[in-house]
Amino acid sequence: MASFLDRERSIAGPGFNRWLIPPAALAIHLCIGQAYATSVYKNGLVKNFDTGNTQIGIVFSIAIVMLGLSAAVAGTWVERVGPRKSMFTAACFWSVGFLVGALGIATKQLWLLYLGYGFIGGIGLGIGYISPVSTLIKWFPDRPGMATGLAIMGFGGGALIASPLSQQLMSWYDPDYNPSVASSVPSGSAVAMLFVSLGIIYFIVMMYGVFNIKVPPEGWRPEGFDPAALKARPLVTTNNVSAGNAIKTAQFYFLWLVLFCNVTAGIGILEQASPMIQDFFRSDGGVSSVTVAAAGGFVGILSLANMGGRFIWSSTSDYIGRKPMYMIYLGVGILAYLGLATIGHNATWLFVLLAMLIISFYGGGFSTVPAYLRDLFGTFQVGAIHGRLLTAWSAAGIAGPLIINGFLDAKGTPGKLTVDAYRPALYTMIAILAVGFIANLLIRPVASRYWEKTGADVPEGTTPTERETV
Amino acid sequence: MTMQVRLVLGWALVGIPLLYGLWETIAKAKNLF
Repeated sequence: MASFLDRERSIAGPGFNRWLIPPAALAIHLCIGQAYATSVYKNGLVKNFDTGNTQIGIVFSIAIVMLGLSAAVAGTWVERVGPRKSMFTAACFWSVGFLVGALGIATKQLWLLYLGYGFIGGIGLGIGYISPVSTLIKWFPDRPGMATGLAIMGFGGGALIASPLSQQLMSWYDPDYNPSVASSVPSGSAVAMLFVSLGIIYFIVMMYGVFNIKVPPEGWRPEGFDPAALKARPLVTTNNVSAGNAIKTAQFYFLWLVLFCNVTAGIGILEQASPMIQDFFRSDGGVSSVTVAAAGGFVGILSLANMGGRFIWSSTSDYIGRKPMYMIYLGVGILAYLGLATIGHNATWLFVLLAMLIISFYGGGFSTVPAYLRDLFGTFQVGAIHGRLLTAWSAAGIAGPLIINGFLDAKGTPGKLTVDAYRPALYTMIAILAVGFIANLLIRPVASRYWEKTGADVPEGTTPTERETV
Repeated sequence: MTMQVRLVLGWALVGIPLLYGLWETIAKAKNLF
C-alpha cells in the first residue's frame, strides 16, 4: 500500500487523458468544502453542549487556523511525496477528525470536538486543499487558472452539497428534527451520527481522488503547447523559485497582503450575510422588509456567487493575466463596497447584485492565486509556496469577523441595527481593499538571483538547492 | 476499463452531487424573490 502511494507509482502512462485529473482533485475539494457548512448543525451543538455560539464557533476557527498552518508547514512535504500520498493523508485526517468529533459530541466533551474536527480535521483541510493544486498546474500549463479554478470551485461547492445532505441525514437520525422549520434543532445524538456518516462518506469519495490522481511524466506537455509563448506574457516566468527562496522575496509578501485584503473584505459580508440584508431594509419602526426565509435565500445566492466566481474569474485570468485580474477584484471591489455603503439600501436587487459581485471576487481571489504563484515562481514548488501563502486566509479569518463584529457591537444590538451601523465597517473594508490594490500594483517579476540553477527542468520531488541571496 | 468510461464515471461522481447541491441551493435562493 505504501508503495502504491509513492510519487513514482502515480506517473501517468501513455494515452492518459488529463481531464481525469480535475474530477480527482474535485473529489478532495468537494469533501473538505464541508467546512463552510457548519451552520446547519451549529444550534444542535450549542444545545448538546449547553454552551454559547462563541464556544461552538471556536471549532470552526481552530479548523481554519489549522488549515493555514498545516498547509504552510506540510507544503514542502506535499511537493516531495506527490499528490497521491498527500491526498491519502488528508483523507485520513479529515475522516478521523469527524470520528473524534463525533465521540466528543456523544460524550458531551467539547475539547474532543476541538481536537477532532478543529485540530485533526483542520490538518486534513490544509493538506487536502493544497495537495492537487500543483499537479493540476503541471497538467494544464496552458490554462492553469481554469484548472485550479475548477478544483477550488469544489471547495465552494462542497458546502452546497454538505448543507442539504447534513439536514437530510439529521432528519433521519432524529425524527423530531424538521430542517424546514427554522426553530427546529437536531439532537446531539443526531449530530454525532451525522459526523460518523460524513467521516465514512468523505473517506470513500476522497479515495476516488487518491486512486485516480496521476502526475505527468517528465517533460510532458499538452499537444500544441509552446512554453516559449509564456515568456511573451508580462510577469510570467519559465524559471523556478524554491519555497525557501520564495519567502525571501517581496513578491511573496505583496501577494500575501493581496490575498489577506481580498479575503478579509469578502468575509465582512459572508460573516453577516443573513442579518445584514435584513438590517439594510429595516424601517425606523424596527421591522425589516426582508423575511428570515428571504435572508436564507440571500445566503444561498452568495454561495452560488462564491462558487461561480472561483471558476469564472480564475479562468478569465488565463486570458487577461493575473495582475489585471486582481486589479479588478480589488478595484471593482472598492466600487462595489462603496455602492453598498451609499446606495445599497435603496433597492434589494441592487444590494444583492453588489454583494454577489463582492463574493464572486472573494472566491475568485482564492482560485486565481495558485496560477499567480506559478507565473511568479514557476511550477517547481508552487504547492509549497501556495501552502505558505494560505496563512493569509487564517489571518483574514480572524481579522474579518473581528472588524465587522467590532463595529456592529459598538453601534447597537443585533436585530435592531440599520444601514447606518454598517457604514463604518464598509468604509474600513474599502480601505483594506485599497491597501491590497496598492500591494498588487507593486508586484514585479522575481529577480534572477532567486531562480533555481537548473532553470525550468528541475526534476519533481528533488530537494531545492537554495541559492545565496544578496 | 476504457479511458472514456473512466472519464464519464469520474465526472459523474463529482458532477451529480454538485448538481444536487446546486439544485437545493437554487431552491433556497428562490425565497429571496
